[in-house]
Amino acid sequence: MNEHLDAATPARAAVRYLRIEFTGSGSEYFRIWIVNLLLSLVTLGLYLPFAKARRLSYFYANTRVDGQALSFHGDPWRMFRGFVLLVLLMGAYGVAGRFSPTAGFIAFLLLCGLWPALWRSSLRFRLGNSSWRGLRFSFHGDVASAYKAMLPLYVPSMILLLPQLLLDGTPENGLWQGIFAGTGFLAMLLLFPWALAQIKRYQHGGYAYAAQRGSLDVPTRRFYALGLKGLLMSLLPAFVFGVLAAVLIPALRGTGVGPGAGMAVLGLGIALLYLLWFVLAGSYFGARLQNLVWNGTHSAELRFDSGLSFRALAWLTLKNWLLTAVTLSLYRPFAAVNTARLRLEAVSVRVDGDIDAWLAQHSANEQDASGDAAGDFFGIDMGL
Amino acid sequence: MSAKLRLDYFDGRSARAQTAEIWLADGQLHLAALDHKSYPVAQVRWPERQRHGQRQVQLPDGGVLSSRDAAAWDDWAHASGLRDSLTVRWMQSWRHVGSALLLLIALLAAGWRWGVPLAADGALALMPASVEQQVGEQALSTFDRHLLKPSGLNSARQQALRQRFEQAALAALPATGAQPAYRLHFRDAGKALGANAFALPGGDIVLTDALVELLADTPDTIIGVLAHELGHVQHRHGMRITLQAGIVGTVAGVIVGDFSAALAGAPALLSQASYSRDFERQADEYARRLLRGAGIPPRVMTTFFERIEHRHKGGSALPIAISSHPANEERVRFFKE
Repeated sequence: MNEHLDAATPARAAVRYLRIEFTGSGSEYFRIWIVNLLLSLVTLGLYLPFAKARRLSYFYANTRVDGQALSFHGDPWRMFRGFVLLVLLMGAYGVAGRFSPTAGFIAFLLLCGLWPALWRSSLRFRLGNSSWRGLRFSFHGDVASAYKAMLPLYVPSMILLLPQLLLDGTPENGLWQGIFAGTGFLAMLLLFPWALAQIKRYQHGGYAYAAQRGSLDVPTRRFYALGLKGLLMSLLPAFVFGVLAAVLIPALRGTGVGPGAGMAVLGLGIALLYLLWFVLAGSYFGARLQNLVWNGTHSAELRFDSGLSFRALAWLTLKNWLLTAVTLSLYRPFAAVNTARLRLEAVSVRVDGDIDAWLAQHSANEQDASGDAAGDFFGIDMGL
Repeated sequence: MSAKLRLDYFDGRSARAQTAEIWLADGQLHLAALDHKSYPVAQVRWPERQRHGQRQVQLPDGGVLSSRDAAAWDDWAHASGLRDSLTVRWMQSWRHVGSALLLLIALLAAGWRWGVPLAADGALALMPASVEQQVGEQALSTFDRHLLKPSGLNSARQQALRQRFEQAALAALPATGAQPAYRLHFRDAGKALGANAFALPGGDIVLTDALVELLADTPDTIIGVLAHELGHVQHRHGMRITLQAGIVGTVAGVIVGDFSAALAGAPALLSQASYSRDFERQADEYARRLLRGAGIPPRVMTTFFERIEHRHKGGSALPIAISSHPANEERVRFFKE
């Protein structure tokens, strides 16, 4: 009776801000990474899902929300089944295209047909196997909505692929091919922000913890604004490169530098252009998307505040890229830890309620018996 | 009965933390919080020992034990006789990690040198000839669409070259030992590919008009070039390079692929250049054997290298003379021997 009363009139808890801390260390993750890599190579890749389970466990155990770490519960053997399934699927897809365009197209259609379902089960697996304070997270998105969320991406891909199937490559068809490619590309550009909005709404709207159900309230136009700024940001390196080329090429011509040296300068320029693009466009989009999406995510008693700085992420990405290249990838684990720290610690959680009173929506026993949330036969984990 | 340890306990139903005491006895983990529970030790998922991070014990009923004091946990686990797995002990020791790193480097080097070619051998042995042929036809039709035009050479000239090569190859059969099925195609490659010849997977050999013109006065040199391409067909280099670069790319992808596609792609590109240098040497060896067997002095190939070099002073962009080929002087010496 008392319990019932308590639930009906909860004591008003003060609003609290939960800090997220990441306590992982690069040198420690380096050791995990090296051993994982060695075992994966020796087993010709079969160890990969086990390596992934260990990596996730390490990152979860080092992610503290309000002083309590997350736990990863995934069963590596189940992840192994999902891994084999995905490898077979992608292998078949990769091979089909080499036989004939028709086989490639059919494989693409099959993959399109399966992908949203696989994506959903990987979300269910990942969330269902994550817990905080002993309560599992879960994912509630349904299959139909997963397909609806991905639909905007399928239309332009079809337009891009159709000419390969319908037209043979005779010169008379060149114009048509150009038209298809142009419309497909334009449609992709125009639909991408919408697709991203749909996808993020599906993901965040499906997240659940205790009685909290997530939802993402960000209007689609803000995804378009982000997409436009991201596009400008990715044009910036090309612009800089163009200006440099316009200045340098005539200057070099005057000095009588040979074509060999000219080619070397050009190669270096292209490498720099790529790096600049990777750092600027990638970090801008990454940082702003994280902020946009998490600042718009809430549940009845939870809100998130993400203040990831573009400049900080860009510097870190530049440093990570250069050191990873110079050390022939030995810096990779340090880079992973540093990026996780920056991204996670930029977020804080605002709670308007008493977490101590939160209860699992169904008992853990029931979950295990029905094998629902975490019980997909194939532990598909695509690493989202 | 082992010592007792005090830590946070979550029962899996409520987010409220309880303080619990745990100890091991008779193969069971005993837990005393609001009430007393016990679980078989084998069904409990124990944390892997790390320097950082919370120690979390996952109980079979969904409950979680969480120890904020990692040192206290490690002491308790040690005293209670819980053993780290071999992998964890390995990861805990810098010395072992160092040997793992050395082993990894040795493994990658050996894989590059022997493993990848061996794996390609295996895959090629399993691959039916029809698959390779289909891939080659697919590639040829793509080339025909974008880069190649029908040959401008009259059919009498084509026929003469075909016959000459066929006879040379036949005469050399005792010397070469084996001869794969091939199809010779004449094409006008325009300026894009210039004077060139290349072999596709499955045995399609393409010879450009410009090359025929370049060597019009020394038809034996054309035979030499075709013999080199037949060498590629014999060793199935077209399919092999795809497989080998694919394997290298996959391994690089596992290492850094999730971070940067460009960093992961670089080794695949390097491997393509490096492996194809070996392939060129193999094809040259085959060509030399064929020429000798047919009674043609291999020296005729020097004309080809001289003229190609003359034509493309400085940088060139030809499959038969790019950096993936061993230096021309070295090859000239090889054919003079």
